[in-house]
Amino acid sequence: MQRRTYLKLGLAGLAGGSFTDLLALRAVNANDALSEGKSATKPSSCILIWMDGGPTHFETFDPKPDAPAEIRGDFRPIKTNVSGIEICEHLPQLAKIADKYSIIRSVCHNQGNHGAGNHYMMTGAPPRIPVGCGAFVSFHPSMGSVAAYERQAPHGLPSYFTMPSMSRSGGPNFLGAKYAPFIVANDPNSKHFRVRDVELPNGLASERFQARRDLRSLVDTMPRFASRETFDPVAAYDDNYEQGYELVLTPDAQKAFDIEKESEDLRERYGRNSFGQRALLARRLVEAGVPFITIYDGGWDHHSDLFGALATRLPSWDQTVATLISDLDQRGLLETTMVIALGEFGRTPKISTLPGQTKPGRDHWANAMSILFAGGGSRGGQVIGATDRQGYAPVERVLSPENYISTVYRKLGIDPNKIYHTPAGRPTHLVSDPTPIAELM
Amino acid sequence: MAPSNQAIPVVLHAFTAIAFCLVCSLWVSLGSEPVVSVSKSESVPKFELDIQPILTARGCNSGPCHGKSRGQNGFALSLFGFDSDMDYDSLVKNARGRRISLANPHESLLLTKATGELPHGGGIRLRTDDEDYKTLSRWIETGLNRSTPQDPVLTKLDIQPEPRQLAPNESIEIRVMATYSDGSQRDVTQVTSYQSSDNGILATKHPGLLVAGAYVGEASVMTRYMGHIATWNSAVVATRNHKPEDYASLPQHNWIDGLVYQKLEQLDFWPSDLCSDEIFLRRLFVDAIGRLPRPDEVTAFMADPSPEKRNQWIEYVLNQPEYANFWANKWADLLRPNPYRVGIKATYSLDTWLRDSFRNNLPHDQFVRELLTAQGSTWRNGATTFFRDRREPEEITSVVSQLFLGVRLECAKCHQHPFEVYSQSDFYGIAAYFSKIGQKGVGLSPPISGGEEIFFVKSSGDVKHPITQKPVPPKPLREQEISIDTETDPRQVFADWLLKSDNPYFSRAAVNRLWGEVMGIGIVDAIDDFRATNPPSNALLLDRLAEHFVQTGFDNKELLKTIFSSRIYQLSSIPNESNKLDYRNFSRHYRKRMRAEVLADALSDVTGVPTSFEGTPAGTKAMELWTFRIPSELLDAFSRPDANQDPPCERLADTTMSQSLHLMNSSQIQGRLTSDEGLCAELASKETEPRELVKAIYLRVYSRLPSMDEYRQISDVIQSANNKRHAIEDIVWSMINSPEFSFID
Repeated sequence: MQRRTYLKLGLAGLAGGSFTDLLALRAVNANDALSEGKSATKPSSCILIWMDGGPTHFETFDPKPDAPAEIRGDFRPIKTNVSGIEICEHLPQLAKIADKYSIIRSVCHNQGNHGAGNHYMMTGAPPRIPVGCGAFVSFHPSMGSVAAYERQAPHGLPSYFTMPSMSRSGGPNFLGAKYAPFIVANDPNSKHFRVRDVELPNGLASERFQARRDLRSLVDTMPRFASRETFDPVAAYDDNYEQGYELVLTPDAQKAFDIEKESEDLRERYGRNSFGQRALLARRLVEAGVPFITIYDGGWDHHSDLFGALATRLPSWDQTVATLISDLDQRGLLETTMVIALGEFGRTPKISTLPGQTKPGRDHWANAMSILFAGGGSRGGQVIGATDRQGYAPVERVLSPENYISTVYRKLGIDPNKIYHTPAGRPTHLVSDPTPIAELM
Repeated sequence: MAPSNQAIPVVLHAFTAIAFCLVCSLWVSLGSEPVVSVSKSESVPKFELDIQPILTARGCNSGPCHGKSRGQNGFALSLFGFDSDMDYDSLVKNARGRRISLANPHESLLLTKATGELPHGGGIRLRTDDEDYKTLSRWIETGLNRSTPQDPVLTKLDIQPEPRQLAPNESIEIRVMATYSDGSQRDVTQVTSYQSSDNGILATKHPGLLVAGAYVGEASVMTRYMGHIATWNSAVVATRNHKPEDYASLPQHNWIDGLVYQKLEQLDFWPSDLCSDEIFLRRLFVDAIGRLPRPDEVTAFMADPSPEKRNQWIEYVLNQPEYANFWANKWADLLRPNPYRVGIKATYSLDTWLRDSFRNNLPHDQFVRELLTAQGSTWRNGATTFFRDRREPEEITSVVSQLFLGVRLECAKCHQHPFEVYSQSDFYGIAAYFSKIGQKGVGLSPPISGGEEIFFVKSSGDVKHPITQKPVPPKPLREQEISIDTETDPRQVFADWLLKSDNPYFSRAAVNRLWGEVMGIGIVDAIDDFRATNPPSNALLLDRLAEHFVQTGFDNKELLKTIFSSRIYQLSSIPNESNKLDYRNFSRHYRKRMRAEVLADALSDVTGVPTSFEGTPAGTKAMELWTFRIPSELLDAFSRPDANQDPPCERLADTTMSQSLHLMNSSQIQGRLTSDEGLCAELASKETEPRELVKAIYLRVYSRLPSMDEYRQISDVIQSANNKRHAIEDIVWSMINSPEFSFID
């Protein structure tokens, strides 16, 4: 209460002291981040494809055809349209556009279980205490929540979307509920797709919504305080309704959710499945000005039946991701939109079969992983770093999760070296090592 | 009942401000006057006496720089210089001694980095003509001396002049004096860190200059110098509009009122009027038991002619069965673990223990003793789940100190508390009481963790000081070390100390929490952050409430009854000209949004269709859920604690757009408004007069009768509608989307 009060006082220019300066500083930062003209490059949006479970680097972007059979696996590499770059044979569409993205092969860390790995790669901070494998933990704000805290989407749109569910560690932590992701749980591939809460409920005509709005002003007789200097939580509540009405009633904002507007042909190319249509919806959200969208794509934890599962899954995944990158590129949006695909870690070089299983797979391996990174003004057609001949560990350009996350922040227009303060007053660097990956800048 | 559930988004800003201020005051001192020294050894500077203060004043050892635990760029110092040995080694011995050049002092990295001669991430911190530069060089030249036992040590810090009231916009110069064991003094005004508890009221312009803001209120300015702290508490008071006799003539219901008026008189805030009966009733129900009054209760109360009716209804409300679930739900915020971590059965048994405790109105001291000394099976004694979740003495210490001492000791786990006197020996002294907890059975195995675990008292066990690595004996906070015989459960000894009637922390922390819950803000704010540098807004009131709590045998209901009966609790939220800027002295009631579970249950009551929760019997209320893991878009939108968070206790009191959107458009809420089983359908089916319908709706949603205008206007809406049922749905929709529904006024 007290702080909110002084926020107001500070803005009114009445209270002296450093707090006012701080507010002014924040306002300046916000303006910088938002104004296109002032900063050298326009801050990018980010579509994060989160491959939960930890995708294999061998069967995606770091094939090892010369390794012994128990390491190289069943799949073969194929050439891409950039000479010297080879990726897995089940990614033929991405192979045709390798000039549009970079592959990072040398990010590694030491958190070999899902809970910890998710946290590290989603927030840029290793978990503070050891966490269990199945754990959902949060010790630090996620990239999406930070993006929402630092940048605002237009027309009352939320700034951080996630679909169909929040990834582990994808929350706001100390930034607070306002910066939690807006979850679109429904399936955009379904005929009856709706985004919950942002559209009028089914069966409610828009005239009736308007009538309700009028009626609401009739039944709302709670007195508001005469003095603007008095802290009144109802004032913030009123603002939220204004923003909510704007979102519900602004056709430009609503258009973002109306995936039916897309041509059948394009919807086909993205893939008529949940993942494909989520990618398409993400593109629409980017067009509407949303800075951060996570597409949660689970089920990459292939301890068994790696080859069987991926032979079916990769082609359709490839189709979607390649279409997303090309579509953004054709619309001139790739320059200001990052498309990133990764999971919490890579997978073990040696193929093994779990007790009781018949089909082999690979286990968790945080010592090596691959990241697909496209757009946001980064150069395409390059491979950054390399693992050894058997894919155990990076041998060139060894990079950390911090380097990767700092790159994303920089492109979002956020300084990764920024210091946040937890509610307990503890200063916390947004990223402890704010060095971005130079090749992508 | 989150540890600091008052207006959280805001807390962030506040602390940003504090820390910014710290940094600010540090850089301000850069270009300022040299230290005026009374007894400073001109010839031979000593590390502890002369050098560490410079490292602190120049910000070298602050949290964002070399003071963070991993240091900066390979150079680590202890935070604010609490560990002299470490700092000395860091400077003199580590990095192969290249930070200091004895042969050529001016080439030392310590100096070339600080002056910016060599590139320095922290920028220029020192100029070659600064007095501090000379002191540092002389320290190197004279052989890197450390203090010896014969050297004077800092014994206390004082601020001159004595604190006094200020007028708006007035400024005052203060001097901060350090006194040493040999009686000598130094003026450390320029090298001290400053922090105001409220920069809007009183800010530090530059070291030594305090400036009052434009508005009245109170603030405490803390100064910190080498682990010592001095505070300067002041009130900013404007021209008086009210006389002492005005305050003396204000009506009082009980002693709380007099103590609050006394404070209001000092600041010249005039209290708001008494709130109306309808507002009182709704406020009381929601604050005491977390549900809206039923229409029959509202009409009975309104018709009650007794002049004593408010007190009689306080009694009635506190005896409703919802009391136990409501308060157990609040304590669940503080103690409830993540079932993926500790297991479903253990989580459930803790929940049962909590509900039983409040159902029996277990005295608060017994409640805490049962929790802190719990033994046995996590499947039988729910209190033991606390120890299944918090497994290490250090974890237990952080939670116990915050919940029951009202002190945030956690900082002192790794370093001297930056805003307080607490040190690592205080932290580990408490941890020592929890070092003999034994476990057998099945430990944690997330994500199922289904096993049963038994807790018992081991015959041995200790905690080690992280620096000395020596076992730390148990030590009550800020008291002397004690020894406990091996037969006794040290936790019992801790509980004896904590719960004795004159413990200075326990009862104050407890009453402040309860007061904050119902009044919207604690007397100490945040609710669990007691320290000299964060003084209570009304110390007398806090003391008297604590005394009362002890006298009633730590009876929660009795304390609530006393608070609810006071005139202060019953004040209107509408400010007057004199108190419009009061946000913590209780001159008016502070509005708050209903918490998630209360709102969910209120929606069930209002629509006549209960919310259905996965895996629970039909009709289960949100207040009765035993874990935060039961999915609910509504509860998530309204900020129930996130079970993924560690600890999962943050509950935000603010309003967000997702909340508005949910109330506006949620298909679940729309479904309940239009349900054939619901209130709207029921009302529409009756051949009732429109006026009677309006009355029924207002009683149900707003817990009051409609005004004359409302009777007329809303009846018109119903009468002129083509579709009566739609009209009623729309009216109810509009009302639940109005602040009068979701706020407690």
